[in-house]
Amino acid sequence: MESVKKMKLVIGGTAQGKLEYVLLKYELQKNKVWNGCLPNNTDDIERKEKPVIINHFHLWVKSRMISGGCPEDEIMSFLDCNEDCIIICDEIGNGIIPIEPFEREYRERVGRILVQLAKRAEEVERIICGMGQKIK
Amino acid sequence: MMILVVGGSGSGKSSYAEEMAVSLARENVNEITMKKYYLATMQIFDKEGRDRVERHRNLRKGKGFLTIEQPTGIFGALEKMETGDRTVLLECISNLTANEMFSEEKAKTKMQVMEDIICGIKLLKEQTTHFVVVSNNVFEDGIIYDETTTEYIHAMGMINHKLAALADWVVEVVAGIPVIIK
Repeated sequence: MESVKKMKLVIGGTAQGKLEYVLLKYELQKNKVWNGCLPNNTDDIERKEKPVIINHFHLWVKSRMISGGCPEDEIMSFLDCNEDCIIICDEIGNGIIPIEPFEREYRERVGRILVQLAKRAEEVERIICGMGQKIK
Repeated sequence: MMILVVGGSGSGKSSYAEEMAVSLARENVNEITMKKYYLATMQIFDKEGRDRVERHRNLRKGKGFLTIEQPTGIFGALEKMETGDRTVLLECISNLTANEMFSEEKAKTKMQVMEDIICGIKLLKEQTTHFVVVSNNVFEDGIIYDETTTEYIHAMGMINHKLAALADWVVEVVAGIPVIIK
């Protein structure tokens, strides 16, 4: 079993089997997964144990944008305390630029955050048809 | 040498393409740094457009690019450059295609747009030392659009095909990471 000591980033299109890929690869259970949210505090994390798996990371970014937060800074502070985690995120930027300004900003911000996360990650994998392609 | 750089929104394709252009321009046999031109294609209509251009200008700052605004008729940029060795960065095909398609009262067909753009690209490739072209992946959102947008997506698809065939290297930028395709 592979262990998680530093952050790993898993990206790919929707419905490509990203979560299943991660659970299988690291022999983890679904109850460890945080869906579209980050654990608030260490109690939360202890309850589910490490490593923390953040699924649907793009939805967390969207919810922080709607609440007027700064997902760019927030995720970095989170990682400062929880380096041993797996972040799973949809790739949402490969389409026609939306007419709606919020949607446009959302795609760009998710893209730019992923660039920053990929720099910090120990490993980056892109999942296509359930298969992992290691790009870093 | 011609390089095609593709990627989605916020993928980091622009900064990667700039780094490529800067390093290619440095690899000059005469050890004289060659002229670097940035062909800007974006037409500015509002504050968001201005902010976007400003962000890109800041990214390029200090890298020694001379900017040529060329929203349509891309070959026209050639007469605005000095002769001799030169590295040219064109950003980006998605704007250029939209401008070519929708600038006149009646939209051009995808074939016409593709032929016009590829003709200009071939001229630029022939007459530059290094040519870096940035294009966009607009093909994977699964949405069925109106006829005009569909025509645009198809034009982009055909143009990307031709560009890849002309290019020596094709690189997809994913989360800032270059993935070599050709």
